[in-house]
Amino acid sequence: MAKIESGTREEVRRLVYEFFSEECEVPVDQLNDGTNVIRDLEGDSLMFLELLEVFKKKYGLNVELKTVGKYVVKHPAETIGAIIAMTMLIIEHENRIAELD
Amino acid sequence: MKKKVVVTGINIISSLGLNMEENWINLKAGKSGVRTIDLFDPSDCETRIAAQVPSGFDAYASRLIKKRLSGQMTRVTRMAYVCAVEAIDRSRCLDFSRNDRSRCAVIIGAVSAGNSSVETGTTEKNRIIKNMSNAIPAWISLRYGLEGPNFTVNTACASSSYAVTIGYEMIRNGTADLVITGGVDSTINPEEIKGFNELYALSVRNHEPERASRPFTRDRDGFVIGEGAGIIILESEKTARARGAAILAEVAGYAITSEAYNIMAPKKDGEGMAVTMRQALEKSGIAPERVDYINAHGTGTPLNDLYETMAIKSVFGAGAPSIPVSSSKSMIGHTIAAAGAIEAAITVMSIREQVITPTVNQDLPDPCLDLDFVPNYSRPHKINVAISNSFAFGGHNACIVFKKY
Repeated sequence: MAKIESGTREEVRRLVYEFFSEECEVPVDQLNDGTNVIRDLEGDSLMFLELLEVFKKKYGLNVELKTVGKYVVKHPAETIGAIIAMTMLIIEHENRIAELD
Repeated sequence: MKKKVVVTGINIISSLGLNMEENWINLKAGKSGVRTIDLFDPSDCETRIAAQVPSGFDAYASRLIKKRLSGQMTRVTRMAYVCAVEAIDRSRCLDFSRNDRSRCAVIIGAVSAGNSSVETGTTEKNRIIKNMSNAIPAWISLRYGLEGPNFTVNTACASSSYAVTIGYEMIRNGTADLVITGGVDSTINPEEIKGFNELYALSVRNHEPERASRPFTRDRDGFVIGEGAGIIILESEKTARARGAAILAEVAGYAITSEAYNIMAPKKDGEGMAVTMRQALEKSGIAPERVDYINAHGTGTPLNDLYETMAIKSVFGAGAPSIPVSSSKSMIGHTIAAAGAIEAAITVMSIREQVITPTVNQDLPDPCLDLDFVPNYSRPHKINVAISNSFAFGGHNACIVFKKY
């Protein structure tokens, strides 16, 4: 399990906000942790996968999509805050995320 | 008891404009939307002209379609989407929150989503989603949360006419209250142009684009390919009246038939076309002498125009020469899967405004084709009943009958 530095936490947070701002054409200052990606931003289910690819490349993560998929089915992440939290878990646990409850 | 079906919204995107008003002004003025192709370099194509949608379309569409969505759509999908959104905006008092959304359908005529080599304004990503022709009605239903039947219809050049007739039937038999229907197409790409050239179907009058689409003339040499979208909102009379909709016309009936004759050529002497028009009138309970205007399929190919003329004479007999017949394709080219809906919308506008749009380029009449083709200039005309014809490769025929409401 990788320990996440506070700088990384801030970076992930900033990148997630920038991603949704850019993709959904909504200014960053109009987003918050409670913003629902589908309902409020007219986003789609592919966005989380694209975001995951960004972080896989950036941090060299050893994580398979199907593993994340199994976790997401049990723990849906619909808001920006929930997506940030899930991203942290993935960075922290990588493929072992499947072993989490 | 079968329900009465009315038209409560129409919109067109074509080479003559990005909305209904712009198109109607240009159609009445007899303008041509045909020009040299600039969507790609056509220099190695035998045909180098087409009726392209104005170059401002992408900027126009971006007002309604966010970048994220646009990246999942093709030009064809965007045209249908924008056309539908604006048709809905123009349909007075249409507020889906007051409708039972499970009884609102979307049925779109499309031969493909058109993910061609000249696709612009999108990315390499999302290939599967972009190629799905069913994504065209799906995106429309997603925007408004419409949960009724949702699908595409492909009968080539009659696709959107078939879509309208299926929508009509769904309302008439009580399956739906409201149907957003119509069609879309963009086949202006080197692959399709060369394909149609192989069939000797397209005009090669490259030196004078505006004069190339010449239905019913002696020197017609094929159709001019066009692109665009047409959307028609159909409702039961009851629900339309209940919400205070502006009713533009009534759909009196229709016929759809198959010629079962040839994959490309129409049945000899227009027999299949005549059967279709006759059936449509019979099903509508309208005698031929009550028809005031025919919006022809009128492609500009030697056989279609000859046989459609023969078919009209066969159905309307001695009365045929006194019925105005015009071809919208003379101005906006042949928009393939969109043609039926675009021309149905023009027919509805003709009834609404009591004006017939012309067949342009009528400078060399064909002595064998001796009907009133409304040459070159629009004309005020009393129209209570009008029909719109569509006849497709594959022998798919459609005729829709509209009545003044």
